[in-house]
Amino acid sequence: MAAAMAWLRRGAWGPARRCGLAAGRSYSGGGAYPSVSLTCPLPGVPKAVFAAAEGRERFETRVTVLENGLRVASQKKFGQFCTVGLLINSGSRHEAKYLSGISHFLEKLAFSSTAQFGSKDEILLTLEKHGGICDCQASRDTIMYAVSADAKGLDTVVNLLADVALQPRLSDEEIEMTRTAIRFELEDLNMRPDPEPLLTEMIHAAAYRDNTVGLNRFCPVENTDKIDREVLHSYLRNYYTPDRMVLAGVGIEHEQLVECAKKYLLGVEPVWGSGQTKDVDRSVAQYTGGIVKVEKDMSDVSLGPTPIPELTHIMIGLESCSFLEDDFIPFAVLNMMMGGGGSFSAGGPGKGMFTRLYLNVLNRHHWMYNATSYHHSYEDTGLLCIHASADPKQVREMVEIITREFILMAGAVGEVELERAKTQLKSMLMMNLESRPVIFEDVGRQVLATNTRKLPHELCALISQVKSTDIKRVVTKMLHKKPAVAALGDLTDLPTYEHIQAALSSKDGRLPRMYRLFR
Amino acid sequence: MRVTDAFSLQCVHVGTGRLRASKAATEVILNVPETRVSPLENGLQVASEDSGLSTCTVGLWIDAGSRYENEKNNGTAHFLEHMAFKGTKKRSQLDLELEIENMGAHLNAYTSREQTVYYAKAFSKDLPRAVEILADIIQNSTLGEAEIERERGVILREMQEVETNLQEVVFDYLHATAYQKTALGRTILGPTENIKSINRNDLVEYITTHYKGPRMVLAAAGGVSHDELLDLAKCHFGNLPSAPEGGLPPLPPCSFTGSEIRIRDDKMPLAHIAIAVEAAGWSHPDTIPLMVANTLIGNWDRSFGGGVQNLSSKLAQIACHGNLCHSFQSFNTCYTDTGLWGLYMVCEPSTIQDMVHFVQREWIRLCTTVTENEVARAKNLLKTNMLLQLDGSTPICEDIGRQMLCYKRRIPIPELEARIEAIDAQTIREVCTKYIYDKHPAVAAVGPIEQLPEYNKICSGMYWVRE
Repeated sequence: MAAAMAWLRRGAWGPARRCGLAAGRSYSGGGAYPSVSLTCPLPGVPKAVFAAAEGRERFETRVTVLENGLRVASQKKFGQFCTVGLLINSGSRHEAKYLSGISHFLEKLAFSSTAQFGSKDEILLTLEKHGGICDCQASRDTIMYAVSADAKGLDTVVNLLADVALQPRLSDEEIEMTRTAIRFELEDLNMRPDPEPLLTEMIHAAAYRDNTVGLNRFCPVENTDKIDREVLHSYLRNYYTPDRMVLAGVGIEHEQLVECAKKYLLGVEPVWGSGQTKDVDRSVAQYTGGIVKVEKDMSDVSLGPTPIPELTHIMIGLESCSFLEDDFIPFAVLNMMMGGGGSFSAGGPGKGMFTRLYLNVLNRHHWMYNATSYHHSYEDTGLLCIHASADPKQVREMVEIITREFILMAGAVGEVELERAKTQLKSMLMMNLESRPVIFEDVGRQVLATNTRKLPHELCALISQVKSTDIKRVVTKMLHKKPAVAALGDLTDLPTYEHIQAALSSKDGRLPRMYRLFR
Repeated sequence: MRVTDAFSLQCVHVGTGRLRASKAATEVILNVPETRVSPLENGLQVASEDSGLSTCTVGLWIDAGSRYENEKNNGTAHFLEHMAFKGTKKRSQLDLELEIENMGAHLNAYTSREQTVYYAKAFSKDLPRAVEILADIIQNSTLGEAEIERERGVILREMQEVETNLQEVVFDYLHATAYQKTALGRTILGPTENIKSINRNDLVEYITTHYKGPRMVLAAAGGVSHDELLDLAKCHFGNLPSAPEGGLPPLPPCSFTGSEIRIRDDKMPLAHIAIAVEAAGWSHPDTIPLMVANTLIGNWDRSFGGGVQNLSSKLAQIACHGNLCHSFQSFNTCYTDTGLWGLYMVCEPSTIQDMVHFVQREWIRLCTTVTENEVARAKNLLKTNMLLQLDGSTPICEDIGRQMLCYKRRIPIPELEARIEAIDAQTIREVCTKYIYDKHPAVAAVGPIEQLPEYNKICSGMYWVRE
């Protein structure tokens, strides 16, 4: 090494320009750390032998069901890392008979101390040895505990996941810290200039009044003090059962994963005991439609000296369908065709510049700040909605523009726009699935809901088959439902719910005219 | 789009996957594809990694950014990036947009202080078209007067957008004070008067001066065959000029000045503060120990809760238990021959003084008493972050492009691991002492900052008078 360093100092190698610059400053210490510019190979490092891509990745998803009902799903993938995790059919939609906010607590408490691991720090230390990181995400219907780590550490990882999910200590101190963290998060949520998370909450509450996916995803502030270990245990006893779980892995061998699952997840007594589950909520989502309004002064949402213009936000949605139905694919294509985004957004061509919400809405009405289509879908229902924002004085006009777009969805669909939407949906799917954690989530969620996985190329084939008549059919069905509406900001000029409903059942989407003698 | 290199933990991200064989071996077998590199005759480098996916990312990384501008034309590189999608001799703007959208592809670009990047994401089968389009937009852009006029408005609006992001504002101020009177001190967007006055000539001149073969890299990842990419590069980029007589333009010198900017505004709810010392450039060997030091300080947000994500960070524990800030992030921003190493924090007005005190105490601890244990954890964490980040064709392509510009090669994973492995507490203490101890920092602060100690006081927190 020393010889190599002397040789380096003579500067007799490499791309002279950069090395010269780097040498402008001499290296400080005399320790073992080599003073070799990063532009030049470090002497003495073993030669790397690379792998070759063996053609296209065409691996299949394998599923095994254990005796206790737990499903194990795996998918191979190129690369040295794996992503492994537990998905549990448990989320805010299951909190009907409990204090709202339990899932939010569980998400924040994940990867805290367990029977085997004395603290979160110990867990992280264990993971660090395998180059791993962990993450937990709770949504309305699923909670996901995931670890990405070197595939060699699989046994340790599954052991850890099992302990995290089934043997959490839920100490008083940890629960107290979670309360604080949740309060901070709620505060930040209300301070954030981006209203999308809040609107999504509101429209779910409007669409599914007091039931299933309409229940609050965030813990209400008044519940933070009420939720404790006992409450959590009584919930966990019902929902964290093997038949509601999938252990999913990407980048590992199936047999190995099944073996680990048997070792750590079979015949294990959870810390809350394995008594009879009695209060499992199996209710099916009831779409009610309706309106949720939050009057809020949005005239100064900026955190700094530069003002953000005052906006009123609306979201209008209608029930679509569950992801288990065949119509899910036409709805996904429709959502892509509507597209949209911010009137001012970064990104070049490819962001959906020719989607309807750009062409018909943002490019024509420059006073609108945003028009974006979203499609939320669950195992028993779905919600297609459009978010729009503009100056409070133009709320009525904005609402009408959006209701008209809904009516236009049932009209003619051009061949070109349909093909474009289908291609973009396929490319979005394939590009998202480049990422290992995304594949993991896709495998886990599909197997959790259906016990099998539709592979990407099968989905692409289904997308290719969508015809304009399919779009027309699903939209016509959707327009028979009562709308769900969320409105946030200064709502002085917001049309009534009845008028919005009338517009959506009219031929042209127009709001009923109001003639007033005195105004 | 403009991209500041702030918060680049990504400063040197390298390689995918991990090594499989033991370190003692003379060979390591990696479960990642090789990065293949081939130069064209004009000096342009073609670099790619084929992972056999059905989608890919391909892009052009150019060694040119706002650093090569002067006071009068500051903003040109960014303006040019905006004009790239406004039509070429072959394609009108509408043709280009339709072509990209109809093939389900994405076209994007960004400008930083030292690099300009144009890239496309597409189905692998569309690679030839993507490369042809990239070649067309950077070589045959029309730069029409009408489009230039229209784009001024768009850029001014982007500027407003940037100004609502306080982190970006603070980093621009930090550069303005740290690199005052030099090119790195200027913003990427340029001042309003320049945005209003930059003309076609400025743009053309910028291209002819800087868009040269030896300063460009065509990088690709995902489902790409290197041989096919090389053929495409020869066909579409073979005619780019190579280095001019008299060589490439020299890198403008940028010196660091310990100094401060304070923008006090008591109406704002929170104070946004960045403090940084001068650090090493991209390729300097000290960069890796500085990144470990950066990981040691770590980052934190109060909504993480007490379960601190990065527990090798003492500062996170202190901030959390003392309720000293809303969030903080340690950063190490690298440029060719200099860099900024420091911390960005968002605080309530009444906790600024305490927070700054503990930040500086931690910095001094890095220089004096940091332990082997902490360093070992930070090294592990740094390796994990670097390797896990390379997930998907776009992050890998970005890594290839940036490394090819910064190091003229892509550092193999075993080498990077060896470089991190060679660091111990002694290295951290020495390197941190060299860059932090008793150095005058650059400070930028915006908001209700009455409590921020005066500059001399901050300077006196950069050393300890004791044995």
